[in-house]
Amino acid sequence: MPLDTSTYSLALLRLDGRRWNELRRLTAQISTQAAADGSSYLEMGNTKVICTVTGPSEAKATGGNRSGGDKADVQVVINIAGFSGVDRKRRGRRDKRTQEMQTTIANAFSQSLFTHLFPHSTILLSLHILSQDGSLLAALLNASTLALIDAGIPMRDYICACTAGSTSSYSSNDEKADPLLDLNNLEEQELPFLTVATLGDTDDVSVLVMETRVQIGRLEGMLAVGVDGCKQVREILDQVVRKRGTKILEASQL
Amino acid sequence: MAPSATQQVLLSPAELSYLHTSLSLTPPIRPDGRTLCQFRPLIAETDILPGTNGSARICFADGTEAIVGIKAEVEKSRPSYQAPGDQNIGEDDDDEADEEVRRSEKEAEQQKGLNEWVEMSVEIPGFRDDDSMSVFLAAMLSEALLADGEFTRRLWINRRFHWKLYVDILLLSQPLSYPLPLLSLTTHLALLSTRLPKLKSEQDEDPLFDDDWEASVFLYPRATDTTSARPPITLLVMAVKDNIIFDPSKEELAVAEVVLAVSVGEKSHGVVGAGMDIDSGRTRNLSLLAVRTIDPPSRLTPPGVPNALNTATGGTAATTEQTSTQRETLDEEGVWQPPRGGAKRKLIAAMIQKVLEQGGVAEEVLDGLEAVELG
Repeated sequence: MPLDTSTYSLALLRLDGRRWNELRRLTAQISTQAAADGSSYLEMGNTKVICTVTGPSEAKATGGNRSGGDKADVQVVINIAGFSGVDRKRRGRRDKRTQEMQTTIANAFSQSLFTHLFPHSTILLSLHILSQDGSLLAALLNASTLALIDAGIPMRDYICACTAGSTSSYSSNDEKADPLLDLNNLEEQELPFLTVATLGDTDDVSVLVMETRVQIGRLEGMLAVGVDGCKQVREILDQVVRKRGTKILEASQL
Repeated sequence: MAPSATQQVLLSPAELSYLHTSLSLTPPIRPDGRTLCQFRPLIAETDILPGTNGSARICFADGTEAIVGIKAEVEKSRPSYQAPGDQNIGEDDDDEADEEVRRSEKEAEQQKGLNEWVEMSVEIPGFRDDDSMSVFLAAMLSEALLADGEFTRRLWINRRFHWKLYVDILLLSQPLSYPLPLLSLTTHLALLSTRLPKLKSEQDEDPLFDDDWEASVFLYPRATDTTSARPPITLLVMAVKDNIIFDPSKEELAVAEVVLAVSVGEKSHGVVGAGMDIDSGRTRNLSLLAVRTIDPPSRLTPPGVPNALNTATGGTAATTEQTSTQRETLDEEGVWQPPRGGAKRKLIAAMIQKVLEQGGVAEEVLDGLEAVELG
């Protein structure tokens, strides 16, 4: 279904009524599952993700190929539920897109976690996608950060992610094109967008994924908006963690 | 079911023997202090995903968690080549009223569904899609659902179209204990909360639906005055000696002698006789849908070594073949032996009876689940 992007320029409001620099409603919970070492549940608009962390645990010796060495091995398994999309569709684990997201997340967290503290061990992140409406990779990264914090695995800083897009892909209305923050599924299908993740409050970009074409001139604007959005996301995630922290402190004082 | 698929409990023969003895006492002592029929507390919620037709989530006390999402799609029915009305050729009555009855009967006959209209899949983290565990669990759950042939009738739209129901079951945690009851109860709640758009077209037209979700109809319609039909539930029952234990934990399963998966359904019934209703409020019309014996994980546990075969205690060590033959005749209390052989018929009958009886476990569970959807 093509998105009628022409309406944006009339009122400068997007399909769901947001302005260009507004995030969707972002809510999260941590410690949702008692059996896991760390777990979290995150909603970005209608995208809903659950993350559970197992580990750091002893590496499973599979086929004599011992993983590890002197650093912990971060493994990511993404499971896209059949009912998550508009139409019911089963995606196998060998799906190329899923595998790419898995490696992206695994690489990002092997950089930010202090993996050298856990030699010969694995940290398994299993991510379940319950409902998808755009910004999937960003939601997965944010949920993983929260679950890893819940599991108590030391890290440099939060990895916070969000998406940024641009209103027009044609050169004709170059001046009028606006960058957009946090795209939903309809916008993702129509507009060029990128997923950016930064390390904490800094401007250090740890993940940058872009699969669509865009003019090079627009990239800087999109990136600036994305990095700015990541800072907003960090604030929200930080509040979730702090809220959990105060709850634990209060419980321990009784 | 291959018991290797569930996680092995790491208990020594001495610990297993201790557990087995305490469970075979009268009254038995369970490791967590529950009574025989007591279930562990659970957290349940329904309608958690707005993008599905029905969904539910259940969290058991041991931390295992499952989510079920149900999606429905309209599908074209395969044409049936059955000659219309070939049953009532012989009798030719032109009585008007009789004709009416026969037509409605014929209609009911045509509203029969096919089992392929329901697709169930179970996903367990860390297991392959075609792993025997998930395939077996999906088969067992769909078996219970399709057993009485009533369920697929609900998916019938008209002679040319029907609903295709996709039931996706996700186990979010590692399968700590045998996950069948968890998945079954979650599926039950999800089916109860499933809603289908209201049909606006008539007869055999191409189906046209009301686009108001508020007007949608429940797959299992709720009636307040009569007991309505409910989706099946599958419960795990185990026995140690003559003690029948419900909702076993994984440690208890490690010493189980018999494990049964009992599927129970509830049929709708009209108005019950007024006299019956006075004291019990209302009765449930429970029926047994399926029973399966499950190979208990206790068969794979390591056996204990009796003093007579242990050199450390002055016995004589035997070769492996000798040990296994001597173990056959051994019946020493306090030395753990993995259970051998099948279950006694009497015991199985007693287990099923205990599930189905009035005021029994199945009724209790159904009552509990009913409270969830109301809340």
